[in-house]
Amino acid sequence: MPRHFWLWAATLGVYAFLYVPLAVVVLFSFNDSALNAAWVGFTTGWYVKLARNQDMLGAALNSLLIALTASTVATVLGTMAGIAMHRYRPRLLPFMVITPVAMPEILLGVSLLLFFRQVLDMTLGLFSIVVAHITFSIGFVAIIIRARLAGMDESIFEAARDLGATPWQTFRRVTLPLILPGVVAGFLMSFTLSIDDFVITFFVAGVGVTTLPLQIYSMIKVAVTPEVNAVSTLLMALTLSMILLASRFAPDVLKGKA
Amino acid sequence: MRGCSSVSEAEKAPSPALSRTLSRLRARVFPSPTPVDSPAPLAGEGRGERARRRQQDLTKWAITTPPFVFLTAFFLLPFLLVVAASFRYPGEFGGLAPLLPLLGAPGKDVGLTLETYRFFFGDLTYAEIFIRSFLVAGLTTLICILLAYPVALLIARSPKKRRDLMVLLVILPFASNLLIRVYAWIIILGPLNLLYTPYAVVIGMVYVHLPFMVLPLYTNLEKHDPALLEAAQDLGANGWTRFWRITFPLSLPGIFSGSALVFIPVLGMFAIPELLGGTGDILVGNLIKEQFLDNRDWPLGSMLSIMLTLAVLALAGLAAWAARSRRGEA
Amino acid sequence: MKNLSPQRTRGTQRKSFYSVFLRALCVLCGSLLFSLSRADDVLHLYIWNNYISDQTAQRFEDYCRCRLKQDYYSDNEEMLAKLDAGAVGYDILVPTGNAVEALVRRNALRPLDKAKLPGLKNIKPEYRNAWYNPGNRYSVPYAYTVTLIGYNKTKLKELNLPTDTWALIFEPKYLEKLKGRVTVLNSQRELMGAAMIYLGYDIQDRDPAKWEQAKELLIRAKPYWATFSNSTYIKDLAIGNIWVAHGYSNDMYRAQQDALAARRPFAIGFATPREGAVLAVDNFVLHQAGPRPDLAQKFMEFMLDGQNAADVSNLIGAGNPNAAAIPYIRSDIAGNPAIFPPPEELKRLQMIRDFDAKSRRTLSRMWTEVKVK
Repeated sequence: MPRHFWLWAATLGVYAFLYVPLAVVVLFSFNDSALNAAWVGFTTGWYVKLARNQDMLGAALNSLLIALTASTVATVLGTMAGIAMHRYRPRLLPFMVITPVAMPEILLGVSLLLFFRQVLDMTLGLFSIVVAHITFSIGFVAIIIRARLAGMDESIFEAARDLGATPWQTFRRVTLPLILPGVVAGFLMSFTLSIDDFVITFFVAGVGVTTLPLQIYSMIKVAVTPEVNAVSTLLMALTLSMILLASRFAPDVLKGKA
Repeated sequence: MRGCSSVSEAEKAPSPALSRTLSRLRARVFPSPTPVDSPAPLAGEGRGERARRRQQDLTKWAITTPPFVFLTAFFLLPFLLVVAASFRYPGEFGGLAPLLPLLGAPGKDVGLTLETYRFFFGDLTYAEIFIRSFLVAGLTTLICILLAYPVALLIARSPKKRRDLMVLLVILPFASNLLIRVYAWIIILGPLNLLYTPYAVVIGMVYVHLPFMVLPLYTNLEKHDPALLEAAQDLGANGWTRFWRITFPLSLPGIFSGSALVFIPVLGMFAIPELLGGTGDILVGNLIKEQFLDNRDWPLGSMLSIMLTLAVLALAGLAAWAARSRRGEA
Repeated sequence: MKNLSPQRTRGTQRKSFYSVFLRALCVLCGSLLFSLSRADDVLHLYIWNNYISDQTAQRFEDYCRCRLKQDYYSDNEEMLAKLDAGAVGYDILVPTGNAVEALVRRNALRPLDKAKLPGLKNIKPEYRNAWYNPGNRYSVPYAYTVTLIGYNKTKLKELNLPTDTWALIFEPKYLEKLKGRVTVLNSQRELMGAAMIYLGYDIQDRDPAKWEQAKELLIRAKPYWATFSNSTYIKDLAIGNIWVAHGYSNDMYRAQQDALAARRPFAIGFATPREGAVLAVDNFVLHQAGPRPDLAQKFMEFMLDGQNAADVSNLIGAGNPNAAAIPYIRSDIAGNPAIFPPPEELKRLQMIRDFDAKSRRTLSRMWTEVKVK
């Protein structure tokens, strides 16, 4: 028996557990049956139908727009919070940064819904979704940034200061280049979180601003045709290529994420 | 702009562009009519020190405030609002009843009330939902540990070249949308007659949360010093003993952090029970969601949210206490 | 200071990645903004799932040269809760009578401009001037459905079970053979209503003691049900995962047609239980905050036309309050008593009415109990 035989067997089992369901989704996206209960025959018709689905396209655009805006702002605020937490060790900030990450998502969704409706009395829509996404993304960015800074030699920053650099110069010329992989990892992380978020968005989404996850949820609940499989397959292909691209150009980013 | 040139000269800044920014910043910080001296030897140590400290305070303020203000506005305040909402009546058409007059005439549902809490504590069924949710979360965590351990161990013991790929393979399914992964199980479990059962809920929960267990475990296992195992081998311990006496105890921190990453999200998850579960598979998350998006009973929903928060906090406190007492032992 | 970055030495490749990344971001943002700036005429419709056929929607879009954007709900409560939670921007809602009543009470509707709706004359007299809407000030009746039992004909014949009584979903003696094969609506008014009807009470009855009885009935039957479902039962029936479903007649019709089309080895049937059932008349109304009342009324008028109105019966399988549509409706559908209840059956059907706030709260907490017990 080879070394690690049982480990290999168990691991392959887990990998199968992870991938078989996704393979089923992909396979059934080519199924020529609206019911999609059993395999009937091969078709690419669901992709054609999908391409004509304006709602889906609109939802995808909304998702992208929201994710870009939210993750940009969250990266800026999160980087600030990360640096602040590392350098000044404030008391309250870590609590406020980490709690939204640590608590069940539904709580954030509920509290923001209450806040937007009862205090601000505003129309839910793009803005409310973006704000909600920023709120939970800040924590992830801050944690990544702080972890990155924690491993660094403080004397570099001191040296910059002794050379007469202003804080902004120190940041621009020393800190930023050093934490850049963390910043990019934070951005990618919040982008993924935002584009994937269902629970919080579910509570704070308004009329006409459907995101992809909401659209998929509605399709699963209401009209389950292989169109759902088709859009899932395309999304998987997209994330897969994004990850491969990232691992090709910036292998550090993936490791930073892990 | 006054004082511009003198400052930049004194600073001997690396580039003209930079010195310009720098001087502008200085000018903004010190709007005094006297030109600001640089920390040049002539200027006197005290003044330069003070200027520098003030600048540092400003920096601190500038980078701490924005995230702090944002999170106060959109996290802390909303959360306090949930607490407040739980003490109110539901409105006539849903939402919340008007708050004023605060005390309200008897028979009129305005102002503040403990009614929702009375409803909750008046019947043990609601506490049972919490217990059920904790059981599901615990079972999910346990299964995740059992499945994740061999994977993490194998990755940690694989040659370095292969590790990244193996980790990537664990994360990859996680990159597709949550609902897609749940939907996959609808397709699979339907013909197996397992859809709408508690098993389906647990399978779905495990599937969705597994990567959160593998990653911290792997990060932990990777750091173990192989010399320990070699030493144990030299002392005659077999594989099983080596695992239980060395690897496993050392990996406990990884198991704990992975468990936190799995347990807490499961508590609030409503989509999986809703899509995969049956009539008996109502968890706290579903109950909260229904109060807001079905029943229009916001006070009850808020109260349940608070109970969930308290439960999570208690759990976190317990974990922290356990960690501390363990460290105390060591 | 320039060379302080330790990354610099092995960083050229990565640096190019970042700049490519940033550039790609800019391009993406730009194209997004461009595509969003392309404003269309859009009519937002918040409607029951499976209530307007793709063909009808397409025909309207061609007619008005605008886009019809639909969001779906599968329970009146869900729709009302969504509006309470701040949903603003729907032009048209399609509430059932009792929900129209609720919406009128809270001033959420915009009165119709009758001058723009000459087609109102097509509505049968008995559907005009309904109790929830005196003088048709706010609503245009669209279609009606019966909440009944849909079932897998083949399977139920095998099991030798009756199909014309609520006992099928409430009585353990029948449910034992159906364990895990029954779904019921996730709707407090509908499910409690069915239980009240089975117990021989009026669905409008506010006597808490009778509600208690209904609640006990539900709790006793609950372990046998597979799940609460408002929409997925269509598919589950057609696939064969579920054998009995409590749901709307149009959804049962859809399940029947889907099973036929997919050549499933069984047939789906649906019938109104002999104890009676809930009748729901669904109406187009204008939401107060809707941005396009003009388009909305254009849509209403379009749907009042006999030929267009017939679609909801021919393609969706719902009853039709439009007299001008009757000549266009297929005879097999017009003749189906579960879709078009004949007069003697109409007597056994009741419409749900809105409760006052206090009763509603009692009921909704009772519903929560049903869910958790």
